[in-house]
Amino acid sequence: MIGFIIKDLAMIKSNFKLLGLLIIVYLFLGLSGEMDISFILPFMSVMIMISTFSYDSYNKWDAYAVTLPNGRKNSVKAKYLATFIIIILMTVITTLSAFLITYIKTKTLNYPDIILNMLGTAIGILVVEALMYPFIYKFGLEKARIGIFIVVFGIVIFGGFILNYVDIPDISLNFLENYWPIILIVIISLMLYLSYRISLRINLKKEY
Amino acid sequence: MENILEVKNLNKQYNDFALQDISFNIPKGMIMGFIGENGAGKTTTIKAILNIIKKYTGEIKIFGLDNRQNSAQINAEIGVVLDDSFFPEIMTPADIAKSMPKIYPTWDSALYQKYLQEFSLPQNKQIKTFSKGMRKKLEIVTAIAHHPKLLILDEPTSGLDPVARREVIDIFQNFIQNEECAILLSSHITTDLEHIADYITFINKGKIILSSSKDDLLNNYGIVKCTEKEFNQFAKTDYLKYVKNKYDYEVLVPNKKEFPKKYPIKVIDKITLDELMIIMIKGEK
Repeated sequence: MIGFIIKDLAMIKSNFKLLGLLIIVYLFLGLSGEMDISFILPFMSVMIMISTFSYDSYNKWDAYAVTLPNGRKNSVKAKYLATFIIIILMTVITTLSAFLITYIKTKTLNYPDIILNMLGTAIGILVVEALMYPFIYKFGLEKARIGIFIVVFGIVIFGGFILNYVDIPDISLNFLENYWPIILIVIISLMLYLSYRISLRINLKKEY
Repeated sequence: MENILEVKNLNKQYNDFALQDISFNIPKGMIMGFIGENGAGKTTTIKAILNIIKKYTGEIKIFGLDNRQNSAQINAEIGVVLDDSFFPEIMTPADIAKSMPKIYPTWDSALYQKYLQEFSLPQNKQIKTFSKGMRKKLEIVTAIAHHPKLLILDEPTSGLDPVARREVIDIFQNFIQNEECAILLSSHITTDLEHIADYITFINKGKIILSSSKDDLLNNYGIVKCTEKEFNQFAKTDYLKYVKNKYDYEVLVPNKKEFPKKYPIKVIDKITLDELMIIMIKGEK
């Protein structure tokens, strides 16, 4: 499986110049106080991973991967792990940059706010990718966009309906206050694992 | 002789096309040329052998193992060149060199580097900057660098100039020196197959219409060029197909030594694989 991760990371390295440029822009805008674009680097990880699917599809890599030892399984596993690596990398870079900007501007460091902000962004991106990947494996990148749109739209409509028309009993969740980071991590981990299992199942049966 | 690949009664149904009862074997130490026109079913058959398509009936055994039950074990010992699938083109040969040793335990980095140099393939240039011939060479080098026992090659020489084709064919011939190995080679360039194939399997409209040793085929089959009057004397059982041209008939006969004994024909031309394909596909019975 490591070979497949190396392949995905090798594809990503062509984006490094663009990332370097974005980090400079981020630092410049952050230091000049123009605007906060701290979400942009983690968001880039979505774009980067989507581009790897796009290149895979263009060169029909998935059919070739099937002919490699454990290719159907390892190519999916590697895609999820590469995604995880990139999100962590982007989050760490953004967090360190945010520390630097805050320290230069205020000579103080507001650790909790920055870390919470970055963690929230990383979790948001993980949720997006966990939702997207099974669609991409099932329908291909082009058609998956429509599927993802329908799911997100469906969730918003369904959520809106529940909030507006269903009488939700007022339950106190105060006892969860101290545990929410753990609960969140468990939920995200489960979501990612479920997403991986669905993608794997699709890829194991897929004909190319 | 022990078979390295056995395909038995392979059937696959699509809306507008079907593979029907495909059966053939490749013994160890042999090169099987797989020929047929575009859309005849060559790539579909290869995809079934490689598990790229899965929903089919019939039996495929590689190294004596069922290809669907033992794909991980089988895939470790086969090398593949597909018609249009490979590593993404933003990667470089150097990237492949880093990735493949972790995929194949038997990957031979020195062999890979040797062939890259031999074919003048640059290490650090993206595949998208390569010519079609360079890409094909890289695919071939990547397919053989882990010392596979079976090579499955779908159009491996397409896009190569004659010099490069000869270099590639030499590699295949070296590969087959080890008599434990075998090659399934689909190609439109039948002259290449005339050089290296031991067996020829001919597929047309999803059916195998001929599978024979190449020498038997080229030594026994022949083309009779004759007039309509001469043609009308031939019994249907003595020829396979005929093509009616403007001024003469071309008749494919399966036994060019016996045919003149029955009919007053003096000249029977040797057949090439190209001619065989054309008459078998375009000819009438």
